[in-house]
Amino acid sequence: MTQEILTVSSEVIPPATAVVTAVGELDHGSRDRLAQATSAALESDQIRLVLDLAGVSFCDSGGLSLFVDLHRATRARGGWLRLAGARWSVRRVLEATNLDRVLALYESPAAAIADGP
Amino acid sequence: MDATERLSEVLREVLDRSHLWQPVELATSVAMAASRAGLRTTIYQVDHEQRSLRALPQQGQPTPEPVPVNGSIGGLAFGSVGSRLAGGDGEAYRWWVPMIDGTDRLGVVEFTLPDDVDANDPGLRQGCERLAGLVGHLIATSSSRGDHLHQMRRSRPMSVASELLWQLLPPLTSSGAQIVVSAVLEPCYEVGGDGFDYSLDGPRASLVVLDAVGKGLKAGLACAVTLAAIRATRRAGHGLSAQARAADAALVEQFTDARFTTGVLAELDLDNGLVRYVNAGHPAPLVLRGGKAVRELSAGRRPPLGIADPTVEIGEERLEPNDRLLFYTDGITEARAANGELFGVSRLADMVEQNAAEGLPTPESVRRLSHAVAAYQDGPYTDDATLMLVEWSAGAAQATVPGGYHPTETSGPQPTGKDQATG
Repeated sequence: MTQEILTVSSEVIPPATAVVTAVGELDHGSRDRLAQATSAALESDQIRLVLDLAGVSFCDSGGLSLFVDLHRATRARGGWLRLAGARWSVRRVLEATNLDRVLALYESPAAAIADGP
Repeated sequence: MDATERLSEVLREVLDRSHLWQPVELATSVAMAASRAGLRTTIYQVDHEQRSLRALPQQGQPTPEPVPVNGSIGGLAFGSVGSRLAGGDGEAYRWWVPMIDGTDRLGVVEFTLPDDVDANDPGLRQGCERLAGLVGHLIATSSSRGDHLHQMRRSRPMSVASELLWQLLPPLTSSGAQIVVSAVLEPCYEVGGDGFDYSLDGPRASLVVLDAVGKGLKAGLACAVTLAAIRATRRAGHGLSAQARAADAALVEQFTDARFTTGVLAELDLDNGLVRYVNAGHPAPLVLRGGKAVRELSAGRRPPLGIADPTVEIGEERLEPNDRLLFYTDGITEARAANGELFGVSRLADMVEQNAAEGLPTPESVRRLSHAVAAYQDGPYTDDATLMLVEWSAGAAQATVPGGYHPTETSGPQPTGKDQATG
């Protein structure tokens, strides 16, 4: 049931970038939906992942641990993870856990992509 | 022989019996030894949630019902870490005496006095306190021989994660001459990833609070690995940075998913009040002074343990004598009332200072704080909630010892009513 609180869509930007957009609440119950979409992107060699979080109203440690997973998985493949458009409530969680020191935050997907490879 | 000498004999006999007793025999053995001084004893252990005192069964005796900590004379003795006299008016006098191991509150012992002794003889009361202290030590050392003492202090079964974690944690309360550390962790029968640790080593007090990501056993395992890595490194003589790095390495090595633990690792120098700390993505501990929260330990920031960051610097803060340092996990401040309002940091700080103004011993203060959080929130715990309060104060340390406020006492309380108190 909790998965219905998060909807996820993906857009591929050739050659190796995917923008994955999540809308809703990202927590231990819903993170698997986002994880499926990002795994599919990684398996299709989209090793540069932009997570568009503008529609995410809530994020707990379940979401944070997925971000760290993806950060590691993309780096291991020579790519990167960039978080885009995070609202104040999500930024606050990233700052409180000091994960903003590790994860790259951008204003928008366009800014994340424009920052180069 | 007077009462004090007879109680010394009882102490000796209890010690002699303790070598071969099984946990199920402890209460009966103590009662048999105490009967030589004409005393009847009932040993009560506090349950994990610290809400009820639960009597240990004795052979051939009916077992009393659990006694609530709040609103009972036994609970007053437990809460204040001070003995309380009940009875009189035709009833036998009974001393309710705190039962501690070191300064860890394990419960109370009820001593029913014979008619022919003076209930207010300070030697008698001190003898009872000493015996209860010995029983506390022996409960602590006997518990691991069998399941009985563990079973008797549970109001319900424990989850696997809780069973694992409680084996790893140090006692809820420990004191030295100038320091008290006291913690509480809820929901105690279904802990997820929270944990705490401390080590009092001469002038240095090491202090750790942890919150592993996730729920249940998965989080419990991550917390256990983190705590063991920190301890092993600390015990090998290495400092805070090395401890954090060891936790990073252990978590990365052990778990394929991103299993991380937020936490604070701190060292307090009891000679000069200097606190050195690393904050790995955790709520900043509070410095409480003169009735308010004056500072947060907000420097020394790094990502959670399990995500290495070689650039981290150690934070520093200087405490003043009698300052309090409060560590907590987000389950405390993010407890949510029915109207959606969060418990929050300022409410937490206010309560600590109110409790201090009331003169509550440190462990009683954290017990009440934890229960206040439980009462505040709408429904059961949705996250682990841990508090660890550190007081850099000789007075606070004294208050965790029975009779600690009366080192030069020459006369006991006067029997003016049914219930008398010391401590």
